[in-house]
Amino acid sequence: MAITDAGVMYGLLAVGAGLATGLAGIGAGVGEQGIGAAVVGVVAEEPGFLGKGLFLMLLPETLIIFGLAVSLILMFAWTPFAAFMQ
Amino acid sequence: MPVLRLPKFGKPVKYAYITGRVRAMKTKLIPNEMYGRMLGMDISDIARYLEETQYKEEIDLLAKDYSGAELIEHATFANLAKTYRKLLDVSIDEPQFLMLEYLRRWDVWNIKTVLRGKFYGASDAEIMKYVVPAGELGTEFLEGVAKKDSVNEVISAFDGTDFAEALAKYDGKSLASVENALDKLYYFRMERAVGGTLSVGGGLLLKYVKREIDVKNLVTLFRMNKAGIEAALIQENLIEGGKLSEDLNRMAGQPYADFVRSLEGYPFWSAISDIATSSDEDGVSRIESRLKAYLVRYAWALSNYHPLSILPVLGYIVSKETEVSNIRKVVRGKEAGLSNELIEEQMVVA
Repeated sequence: MAITDAGVMYGLLAVGAGLATGLAGIGAGVGEQGIGAAVVGVVAEEPGFLGKGLFLMLLPETLIIFGLAVSLILMFAWTPFAAFMQ
Repeated sequence: MPVLRLPKFGKPVKYAYITGRVRAMKTKLIPNEMYGRMLGMDISDIARYLEETQYKEEIDLLAKDYSGAELIEHATFANLAKTYRKLLDVSIDEPQFLMLEYLRRWDVWNIKTVLRGKFYGASDAEIMKYVVPAGELGTEFLEGVAKKDSVNEVISAFDGTDFAEALAKYDGKSLASVENALDKLYYFRMERAVGGTLSVGGGLLLKYVKREIDVKNLVTLFRMNKAGIEAALIQENLIEGGKLSEDLNRMAGQPYADFVRSLEGYPFWSAISDIATSSDEDGVSRIESRLKAYLVRYAWALSNYHPLSILPVLGYIVSKETEVSNIRKVVRGKEAGLSNELIEEQMVVA
């Protein structure tokens, strides 16, 4: 069954965009919980490690950018949708 | 309908904090090359060097009561107990449970220390100097036990505890059978407690402990086979539950040369092959040091395969114990006027 209703299409695209950012965020969170706990453990012994530790902790955060990029493409750059907006 | 099972994301995370912390603590351990330099120092210089390390607090605190080798000995013991207590305090849940099970060895050590002290008529203050309250039995309880008048009174203080059965083996003449029973009890209890949890972390701890039992049994075999003691008596002294227990039981009572040959091919062989095959008379104590170093390396090697598990913590616990015993060997050796070569041979350098 082809989706012809522009409103449904818009809705599905919005759900897809939301999932892309949301799931990327959950994934990054899962990755960060372990790193965060380990960094706190190391910093408790070596306070000088805080800077490096924070950097390592933020690494999984970069994955969200991919999700966000996919969301933005879906919402504003994907051709059928862009055509729909016009 | 099948139940949707979500992956347990929290499982290894329980270990993230404590493994991060022990890896940072590991960097503060005394580096191996420092032991060589310590051999060239005199005892007061060693104490000064230790003041620049993690032992500072204990050395400063105990300096008013002790000096020289005694000061270093007590400071290292106090620091060891403090470090282990800290590990228990900063961990929760499974890591804490497994650590406590492993650290119960210090309960056995303390009971043995009190028994030996009483057996040879040492004062309670003298006994308490060598007690390391890193296990479940606290300082107050041990002080109370050390104040008892005789070995039998000490033994009766443990009535109703798990130790009672092992302590009942005391025959009034020697402590060897009681000490052996206490060691066996420690490993039996650990296997019962940790094996019962069926957790991945518990399995890894047991994997290391089984190797540790093998090494202990191997040292017993080296000593007793060299002395030509009969098989039945040796087997009585071997601890059950090791990975190679059956093989090692079979080796009991073998002529020394045959025994050494039969060890070829086992994982620890490369660590001891050169000494074991040489005709060195004092080889057994050197083999013991090599095997202990092998155990430390084994714990860290295992922890590389399981970075978020109890193994890095275990590696640290073993490394810290080795460090303290090395410092004590240097200091006591120097005090007794032993040659640097002899002290070096006894040290465990992993």
